[in-house]
Amino acid sequence: MMREHRSLIVWPSLIAAGLLAASCTDQPKVSMAPNRPNFWLTPPPAVCTGGKWTGGGRIDPAYPDPTAGSNYDGADEDLAHEEEYFAYKLPNMTGKVTFGFNIFLAVNSETPSRCYVQKGEIEVNHHPAKTSWHVSIHDGTDAQGNTVYASVFADASGRGYCLVVGIPDNYMWARVNGNKGYELTQFEVCDNDRGQPQNSRHDAMRWRAAGDVSHDPGDTHLIYLTGGNIVEHGS
Amino acid sequence: MNGKSMHWVNRLAALGLVVGLVAGLAAVGSAQSVGGQAYSTYVNTPLGSSAQSPLAVLPAVSGTDGAEADAEGSALNVAGALSSDFLNSITSGEIGAAEAGAQSTASAASVNILNGLITADEVVANVMSSAGQTGAFSNADGSTLTNLTVAGQSLSGDQPVAPNTNVSLPGVGYVVLNEQIPSGDGVSSSGLTVNMIHVYLQNLVGGILNPLTGQIIGGTLQTTGEIIVGSATSSVAS
Repeated sequence: MMREHRSLIVWPSLIAAGLLAASCTDQPKVSMAPNRPNFWLTPPPAVCTGGKWTGGGRIDPAYPDPTAGSNYDGADEDLAHEEEYFAYKLPNMTGKVTFGFNIFLAVNSETPSRCYVQKGEIEVNHHPAKTSWHVSIHDGTDAQGNTVYASVFADASGRGYCLVVGIPDNYMWARVNGNKGYELTQFEVCDNDRGQPQNSRHDAMRWRAAGDVSHDPGDTHLIYLTGGNIVEHGS
Repeated sequence: MNGKSMHWVNRLAALGLVVGLVAGLAAVGSAQSVGGQAYSTYVNTPLGSSAQSPLAVLPAVSGTDGAEADAEGSALNVAGALSSDFLNSITSGEIGAAEAGAQSTASAASVNILNGLITADEVVANVMSSAGQTGAFSNADGSTLTNLTVAGQSLSGDQPVAPNTNVSLPGVGYVVLNEQIPSGDGVSSSGLTVNMIHVYLQNLVGGILNPLTGQIIGGTLQTTGEIIVGSATSSVAS
């Protein structure tokens, strides 16, 4: 009887001590908020469905800060809608830029969530510096034999989709001024007027170049077209 | 449900199927052809000649495909007629289910025509044509001339110029700035060619010299040559 009485005292004490110890440890806080889908705060995992993109035209990033210009597209990218990333710290690239491109996407069998560029051509000219870049992608690789990955995402404005070509880790190699050499680049376009009149100036383009060879490094930021068109036209 | 009402249901279903198929085919088959080309310079004068250069021509596009072509040149010099550098031509086109189109861009820098009669820091010709369910149209947005001078008259900055601006060049001929040549019906087809600087060289043929005034009476002006800087063309048709 005495033994039974002792256990009645000991077990509640042990439980109380355990609860006290647990409350003092540095454990992650448990949210009591209602369960939400995973993509509530972060973009959904990228899923490549292929696709064909073609276009060209002109942008005019404002000097000295493209993001302060009236033609800056600040509506299509935010923390949850910006797939691209460039490891290089780049200065602003401003002034007249003309371009043309054709990109065919395909699903990477090893990593189905990632798109790669099956074939493509990208030509970009930065007029103030008289720099031209050309990217050629054949059979899934660029001129240096590297796979060029791409990403397609619904833009933050809800008007359409954006394509980023040359996402990390490989980026893509562009030939500089004919045959002066190659440097790492990244290309982004947004098609925001599908099936609508094409003079709305809602399509946008962004170009980033490392500048190792061209000595013209920079980031135009995402800028609405002054003229031309971007079209996502099939899968 | 009796046999008669089944008959009507089947008819309605068949009608719906036909309407759906027709609508679907109309949307998919909105455009059958796209075209584009661009070149920075062309010279055909008694002083010398140079073919359209660098020339980019859009390859044939079919299905729901797209294509791009570009060409670049470092410099061009036809003595006494034209010199320029940083020459770039790009054209691209696509056919899709919802829309189809083409876009072309040509540019040239440090332009000097006829020993300084016309100069420009930069010339950009930019055109696009598009066809979709709202119709077909083309425009030349983004076509500009930078720090242009024509026979001593200057236009500073990077500016568009009114389409088909005609400026006389006494003793030489005339120049058309932002020359625009449209095509198509605007419903199922549309196209546009833009020549940012098009010089027409002219000579007076025939006529009689008035010995009292020293002027020539009569005769006709004859075009003897032309110079084009910045030419871009795009077109789409269903």
